[in-house]
Amino acid sequence: MAILKIGKMVMGSLFKKPATLMYPVVPRKWQERTRGHIDIAIEDCILCGICARKCPTNAITVAKETKSWTIRRMQCIQCSCCVEVCPKKCLDNKNEYTTPSTEKLVDSFEKPAAEAAPAGELRAAPDGAAASAGAATPAPVPADGTLKCGDTCIYCGICAKKCPQEALTVSRKKKNAQTGEQEGENIWSVDAENCILCGICVEVCPKKSLAIE
Amino acid sequence: MSKRTIIPFGPQHPVLPEPVHLDLVIEDERVVEAIPSIGYIHRGLEKLVEKREFTEMVYVIERICGICSFGHGWGYCKSVEGNMGIVVPDRAEFLRTIWHELSRIHSHLLWLGLLADGFGFESLFMHSWRLRETVLDIFEKTTGGRVIFSVCKLGGVRKDIDADGLKEIVRLLAGMKAELKELTDVFLDDYSVKNRLVGVGVLSRDEAAELCTVGPMARASGLRQDIRMDGHGAYAKLNFEPAVETDGDCHARCKVRVRELFQSIDLITQCAESMPDGELSVPVKGSPSGEFVARMEQPRGEAYYYSIGNGSKFLERMRVRTPTNMNIPAMVKTLQGCDLADVPMLILTVDPCISCTER
Repeated sequence: MAILKIGKMVMGSLFKKPATLMYPVVPRKWQERTRGHIDIAIEDCILCGICARKCPTNAITVAKETKSWTIRRMQCIQCSCCVEVCPKKCLDNKNEYTTPSTEKLVDSFEKPAAEAAPAGELRAAPDGAAASAGAATPAPVPADGTLKCGDTCIYCGICAKKCPQEALTVSRKKKNAQTGEQEGENIWSVDAENCILCGICVEVCPKKSLAIE
Repeated sequence: MSKRTIIPFGPQHPVLPEPVHLDLVIEDERVVEAIPSIGYIHRGLEKLVEKREFTEMVYVIERICGICSFGHGWGYCKSVEGNMGIVVPDRAEFLRTIWHELSRIHSHLLWLGLLADGFGFESLFMHSWRLRETVLDIFEKTTGGRVIFSVCKLGGVRKDIDADGLKEIVRLLAGMKAELKELTDVFLDDYSVKNRLVGVGVLSRDEAAELCTVGPMARASGLRQDIRMDGHGAYAKLNFEPAVETDGDCHARCKVRVRELFQSIDLITQCAESMPDGELSVPVKGSPSGEFVARMEQPRGEAYYYSIGNGSKFLERMRVRTPTNMNIPAMVKTLQGCDLADVPMLILTVDPCISCTER
């Protein structure tokens, strides 16, 4: 009986493909959902820094001064937390793993200089003067529109709480406990210089009163 | 009266996948006493909870252990969800159950392989791990990770498995079942394997109860104890009976795990058949402010997750009690009076996970 069993297994194994893969001669097949490494479309990045703040391993650094986005590959655990929180959806988790290395890999991406003009146009500009003028423009200047608040606002302040740049100020009338009178004013204001048009406030607004126009 | 000697066992030892140290007091090849010491991979998770937001903490908790990672993530989510009064949609609960049961298959196959390796049956070890690969492939396809999934989040799950995906999983597992039967028959009936396992390290029912054992260790000694019976997740809607053996030896512990392999395949099939439609997750608003205890049946036994919130984004306190932690006293007890050659078997049949124990 045992010989029959072993014989069957030996014959089977002779003609079967091996269970292991001849890696790296035969490349590994990635699944659609495989989390390999984080990739960034840097031209869409608004350097808001939410990814760096939410990263469980502090693998991401966002420097506004140098307009750069840096990831320490060895520290990254591919949890996709940054991809999920990115307001501009410029982060993506790509299939391929990073190549093995004896050094601790650090990848840095720099945002193309001019924010006001589309990057393609700037590169095509023939004279250097136009390009340097574009580069001198401060980064946070809104590229496409400004944030506006409609008249359905209830001054709840959720937008201000969620703003990653702390560019919003909201306060509302309060009832004085002693006199019973309304005090203060209903204020909603945006600091246009700091606003990065990430759109988080528009998303969280319970009254859908905010819009980027 | 022969002389007593102390043999240091671990933290590096061929049978130990993870570092634990045992001082074995030996008298004539017989173990008189075993003194365990841990602390090689402590990571200070309970302190870290003060610095990571409770929503991001899921990623950290999942990485307590590479084998039962999904269960840890689920346990933590369950604890915080209970804390905040979040009701998770049915579909999410079913998907969580599927992934959790797949983890159990993956964990038990890994353990069977290690056990075979422990008693020197190399080809059996290879076959166990070959079968485990099927489950890892399912994981990668459905979640994006092979051992750490990051699909469980507060309020539900991140990814869905569509009807075709479910059919494919059921088909793969059905195909695996025949091969699994062939493999586990060797573990249960083979003469040489039985020689190493039967009658070794017997833990009676009373001892198991007294030493607070959990999981397969308790069930092998005749205790009918399984947290899945309380009906969390989708378990309340599934037909399920815990695998209980009465012999209490290494062979019984192996038998319990083998039976659980088939039981998990059955549970996944049931889940796939009765998968409800609906939302994958509900939004999480506010911060936890109460306290809550959640219990999970991990592949290794009962795990306990306690969280207390203070209304801020950071939990006040978080405690995880893992199954191996509870099984170490029983392991020490079974080691007393055993042969030195049986020590690896006794340690392996507890299925120790030191990463879990030390957190």
